[in-house]
Amino acid sequence: MIYVIDHKDSFTHNVVHQLSLFDDVECDDFSKINKSKLNQASVIIFSPGPGSPKDYPLTSKIYKKYKGKKRIIGVCLGFQQILFSEGAEIVQQNKIYHGFQSEVLVNKSSKLFNTGTKFKVGRYHSLKVKEPFYAENFDITMRCVISGAAMSFENNIDKIYGFQFHPESFLTLNGKLLIKKILSA
Amino acid sequence: MQDFKHLRKLIKKNYLNNINKSRKPFIIYKTNKGFDLFTDFSKKIILNNQNIRQFLKQRNSSKRKYQSTDLYIGFFGYELLNNLIGVKIRRQKSINFPKGIFYKPETKINFKENLIYNLKSNQKIDRNFKININQKSYKKIFDKFKKKIRSGLTYQIKICTKYKNKSQIDPIDFFCRLTKSNLAPEAFMIKDKNYSIISCSPENLINKKGSSISTKPIAGTLRKTKKINKKKALNFFKNNIKETKEHNMIVDMERNDLSRICIPGSVKLKKEKSVEEYKDLYHYVSLISGKLKDKVENIDIIKAMMPGGSVIGCPKISTLNLLNNQEKENRNIYTGSFGFIKFNGDMRFNIIIRSILNYKNTSEISVASGVVIDSNAKHEFNENFIKAKALIDLYK
Repeated sequence: MIYVIDHKDSFTHNVVHQLSLFDDVECDDFSKINKSKLNQASVIIFSPGPGSPKDYPLTSKIYKKYKGKKRIIGVCLGFQQILFSEGAEIVQQNKIYHGFQSEVLVNKSSKLFNTGTKFKVGRYHSLKVKEPFYAENFDITMRCVISGAAMSFENNIDKIYGFQFHPESFLTLNGKLLIKKILSA
Repeated sequence: MQDFKHLRKLIKKNYLNNINKSRKPFIIYKTNKGFDLFTDFSKKIILNNQNIRQFLKQRNSSKRKYQSTDLYIGFFGYELLNNLIGVKIRRQKSINFPKGIFYKPETKINFKENLIYNLKSNQKIDRNFKININQKSYKKIFDKFKKKIRSGLTYQIKICTKYKNKSQIDPIDFFCRLTKSNLAPEAFMIKDKNYSIISCSPENLINKKGSSISTKPIAGTLRKTKKINKKKALNFFKNNIKETKEHNMIVDMERNDLSRICIPGSVKLKKEKSVEEYKDLYHYVSLISGKLKDKVENIDIIKAMMPGGSVIGCPKISTLNLLNNQEKENRNIYTGSFGFIKFNGDMRFNIIIRSILNYKNTSEISVASGVVIDSNAKHEFNENFIKAKALIDLYK
């Protein structure tokens, strides 16, 4: 079972819908976490959401508790939440992307996707991870072709993955495949 | 038979004049081909936070065969829809207009042709409207919301402005003129003893038949000129990054709202970013549909879809909270929904925009336009006025 932690976003159920194609999915509000569902889940997803990771200390706590024990995946805010919990600084971007389709490029540190592949993704974020960023076993694996902003990371040791863009958006052309790969990696 | 047809035509021709004379409450709703008029109401339910759940949960599905009047028709106001999904609104200036009203009609009449009405009553029309937020205060709110966008609390937010005046109008006359100048697919009017609503809403929020459901969000409006045809309008929208981003956001949000209640994999973007042509403008619209999950009830659908996201902003809850903390006046019907729930469970609802609420001899027109990261305050303020103008122009 996949447990989705919803940060009151208007895209969370697109994520749920997409994940439901692969496994049973349960979804609860971040402030109303069901402990037994959380324990039962094999995968935990941190949803997109408004605001910044510092607004969601409960989610950071869950991350730290289950890191290395369960597969954890973050989307947009969830992506930032994981990196924030790993010590990254989350900062405002000069150019803000809401409803924007842009191209990302897979770099050579990716173990799951082919290096050099470019594809179109949908973005909804005001904030980004401040770089350089370093945490053990974490690699930034995709970047925006134009701005170079971090778009995805992999931690294949602890099975932790994240996308700054939205794989569930209709603007992301092969989102289903991305999700399939990180669920089975 | 021929005589009967002729007689029926004659009755229909004078129908609006007669019903006006009779002072009976009635509702008119645009259909694909013409208009439906509902009247002879046997029940009137005034909704509040306490009775809305019961109203939505009641089942009338014992019958096998339904009549065309086996439905409740009416509206949910904005505040009621907020409260239904657990979003609170702090104390606001209010005219104490009901939060929602539904009627059970016993008569339904279909008009295939244009509505005919000869104005006889005395109207007292004031042409001057007062706006509740001037350009300076608008700019202030605008700048505040832009900061919220920068910090990621909202991605798109719609600032609402209100135009008001004191007039005694004949709603049928207004509605007939409005349908002539601006025939919109979700147009409706309600005339009751103590209030009336006239609307040329273009936007369908819920169309539910059996287990099929669809929504048709609009994001993007272009004024018609002689130089612009439909194809050019499409090019304009496609090449305008700001309009495209706003529209994308709404599409993903409506996909999300349908995904709450639909079978995984069934939510489909049926029409992506097409242009619809109206008398004075072009709209940029998408159509999204899905198949409802087995156990979903109408209350779940209403809670998932309302208030309609395209007129609020995104993400919905965070944006509603920002709006509700900002707005000092009750929105009443504005950005609520009008439509019907049939006894067999089918529903049709619009989003109440481009509308006039007449209550206690005051006319109220609310409009809103979106703030995204690259919006311009002056442009959006004027956009609000353009949207209100089609209605304000009726006051002459």
